[in-house]
Amino acid sequence: MGSNYYQIKKNILKARRLVIKATNIAGSGHPGGSFSMAEILGCLFNRYLKFDPTNPQWEDRDRLVLSKGHAAPGLFSNMAVAGYFPESELDTLRKFGSKLQGHPDLKCPGVEFCGGSLGTGLSYSVGIALTAKLDSKDYHVYTIIGDGESDEGQVWEAAMTAAKYKVDNLTAFLDRNFIQQDSYTEKIMPLDEKLEGDDITEMWKDASRWKTGDKWRSFGWNVIEIAGHRVEQIDAAIAKANATKGVPTMIICRTVKGKSIEHMEDNPLWHGRAPDSDVIPIINLELDSQFMIAPSIIAGDMTNLENEIKRCISGRAHYIHLDVMDGQFVPNKTFDHTKIKELRPLTVIPFDSHLMINKPVKHVRDYIDSGSDIITVHAEVTDESSFGEIHDILKQNQVGVGFAINPDTELPEWSYKFLPSLDQLIVMSVVPGKSGQKYIEETHAKMARLNSVLKEHNFSGYIEADGGVNLENIGSIFADGARVFVGGGALIGQQDMPVAIKDFRSEVLKSRRRLLLDKAQELGGTELVNKWIGLHIVGKKQEQIKKIAQEAGYI
Amino acid sequence: MNEPIMTDMRSEYSKTLIQIGKENPNVVVLGADTTDSLKTSGFGKEFPDRFFNVGIAEANLVTTSAGLAVSGKISFASTYAIFLPGRAVDQIRNNIAYPSPPGKQGLNVKLVVSHGGLTVGPDGGSHQQIEDIAIMRVIPNFRVFIPADTISVSKLTKLMTNEYGPFYMRMARSKTPLVHSESQKFQIGKGITIRDGSDCTIAACGITVRMALEAAETLQQEGISCRVLDMFSIKPIDNEILEKAARETGYIVTTEEHNIFGGMGSAVAESISESYPVPIKRIGAQDMFGESARDNEIPLLLEKHGITSFNMAKQVKKIRSKKL
Repeated sequence: MGSNYYQIKKNILKARRLVIKATNIAGSGHPGGSFSMAEILGCLFNRYLKFDPTNPQWEDRDRLVLSKGHAAPGLFSNMAVAGYFPESELDTLRKFGSKLQGHPDLKCPGVEFCGGSLGTGLSYSVGIALTAKLDSKDYHVYTIIGDGESDEGQVWEAAMTAAKYKVDNLTAFLDRNFIQQDSYTEKIMPLDEKLEGDDITEMWKDASRWKTGDKWRSFGWNVIEIAGHRVEQIDAAIAKANATKGVPTMIICRTVKGKSIEHMEDNPLWHGRAPDSDVIPIINLELDSQFMIAPSIIAGDMTNLENEIKRCISGRAHYIHLDVMDGQFVPNKTFDHTKIKELRPLTVIPFDSHLMINKPVKHVRDYIDSGSDIITVHAEVTDESSFGEIHDILKQNQVGVGFAINPDTELPEWSYKFLPSLDQLIVMSVVPGKSGQKYIEETHAKMARLNSVLKEHNFSGYIEADGGVNLENIGSIFADGARVFVGGGALIGQQDMPVAIKDFRSEVLKSRRRLLLDKAQELGGTELVNKWIGLHIVGKKQEQIKKIAQEAGYI
Repeated sequence: MNEPIMTDMRSEYSKTLIQIGKENPNVVVLGADTTDSLKTSGFGKEFPDRFFNVGIAEANLVTTSAGLAVSGKISFASTYAIFLPGRAVDQIRNNIAYPSPPGKQGLNVKLVVSHGGLTVGPDGGSHQQIEDIAIMRVIPNFRVFIPADTISVSKLTKLMTNEYGPFYMRMARSKTPLVHSESQKFQIGKGITIRDGSDCTIAACGITVRMALEAAETLQQEGISCRVLDMFSIKPIDNEILEKAARETGYIVTTEEHNIFGGMGSAVAESISESYPVPIKRIGAQDMFGESARDNEIPLLLEKHGITSFNMAKQVKKIRSKKL
């Protein structure tokens, strides 16, 4: 089996950084479309694709066909991360003599399809899928097509052919980012409906206006519609597709062109353009500053946790934080693994199980079996040996490894050796045991101390802030280095969860924008600050960032 | 000359496909709603699992064939000439010719078409493909054949099966006269001296080979010894046989049912201008589209473009004065 949720996310981040580096060195390329499909490729490479980088022609390998070939940097970056060739080889992208051509090419072992001329990848995939059937092979064909390329009639010729021949060993993804070279897809050739005005954000949020899925359904395909940057949704969709017999599957992924870099997001200009060298460090910082919001459901109605889960879904939470309390390690008692197991079928959102229990090593398997995506245990009740055991069991089961420290606990020295492979560190900012407490201010200073230790020991996981996080302090907690924010009363306690999560996000975003402006100021003063602001041309971003820069005295 | 034995290329192609299908389980055949006409449906009846009719979707036909080929199959994709190079050149280039797996050039797809040239007849100019040779021979990695008769069709189909890589073979719609014997050998890039001669050369292909033989016969009666070459392999072209003809006979008349621009005649001219330049006259469609002609009127259509044995003999005599 493949990697856990965190390893997938880490590899996606790695691949994104490589796309930026490679297109910058090449001086051209397509970062926008590489980023909109980043999570799709991340899931495929790290969990589903059967391949052997040392034997790219292995005949039983799964085939990945990138029909939207201009997103080659995205493909190559994932191949580098997967070990097909050294990451440094990406520096040769688009250069004379390189196997990394401007568009994917069989010259590069492991690449299955020469992309570039759009609209042909699906027919090609049908051909491969037919071969697999003829040869009674069980390899699978995964194909990524773009929404712009769906203008091509051949896509629909292939759609009919795939349905006719029942190629259920073919799973296609539509990278629905709403942007093609000239402009928004709905302006150039509507797949859903004609776009009035320029606000594609409004367009895609209203799922009732989406008709693309109906088109594919009417062509006889199994259609699954998902948010294309949510690893867990992609994961679940692929699993479902692979289990579907008798018809091919189209997974329609609502994505954002340029995803993860604010100035590239939803911006047609970044379809085919490389970032300048002077902004690369800022972009990398932005990539490293992705964050997640994790509502803690015990702050809600404990008699109806099912409903709290539903509220998390409606709020599009990244994560669901599950506080397990045993009445011994902490005075309170909440629920145990049996409850988690009951809740698991309700959603694919990752379960962040925070075990505030004694002797976690004895119980960790129960929490794995309950369907937790990450399990966090406390420093106060583990030692090198028991944590080592927990660490290994979790890794073996593709479950994320979390470690937590209470407000008055410093990171124990014995834990340093685990830091490089740790997926999450919870820094408690209240005394655990009950919800509704105030954030302990000393935590800011503690975070500063922690950061240098974590850096020194190559920690590359998420720092999760847990306790008393609210709209007033979340920005400063982000600035401290936290990247996952557990919300109790401030999220779950609110009537309107979607709005509460959105408010959390926008506060973090504000803080992140400031962080990036600080970097711009540090590297290039006012000139770079102005350049950075100038890149943000979509929507109201520019004026908002300008205001932050003014408040900081940078302009 | 004796009355020719007329045979049908499509039937021969179909028969050969079934034969090689029996010998080689990797052979797959694809069509685009013209499979009864191309007679590839016979393969489909014999091997239903290895036969794919993708409907009236030629781009899809080409690319699906490529997908089958890249994963290990030998794809034969067939429809009318006008709908393959004439319609799906992007897919032919980018999905068959360009992709080159390690150590190979292009994918293992054989595009075998019928209804090439003007002899398509009644369907008219819209269906008379006179540009395909120009289109196909300019695409790297492709090899291009125009068989003269059913013996050629059978042998070239087998040859293509055993030789890795992309091929284009153009057959005629109408029955064609047998010009070769069963013992004739066919090699890629090797023309066939079908009649020897020392005073002049006619390089022909497809249905014009028989006409060239007839012209040679006429010329013989006038005391002119005319060599006739069957240049079925247009790419690669046989430089050697052409240079020899140029040296030994002094000039070459080419003849084909294709536009004189970019066709076999152009290929011959390119070849000998680099080896042993001699005068050349190209007979073919004179940069004009075809038009409808009922079967019994096809000779009139050909005559309009000068594709007749009479004109071949005439041109041979006309450029004799320019002979080096």
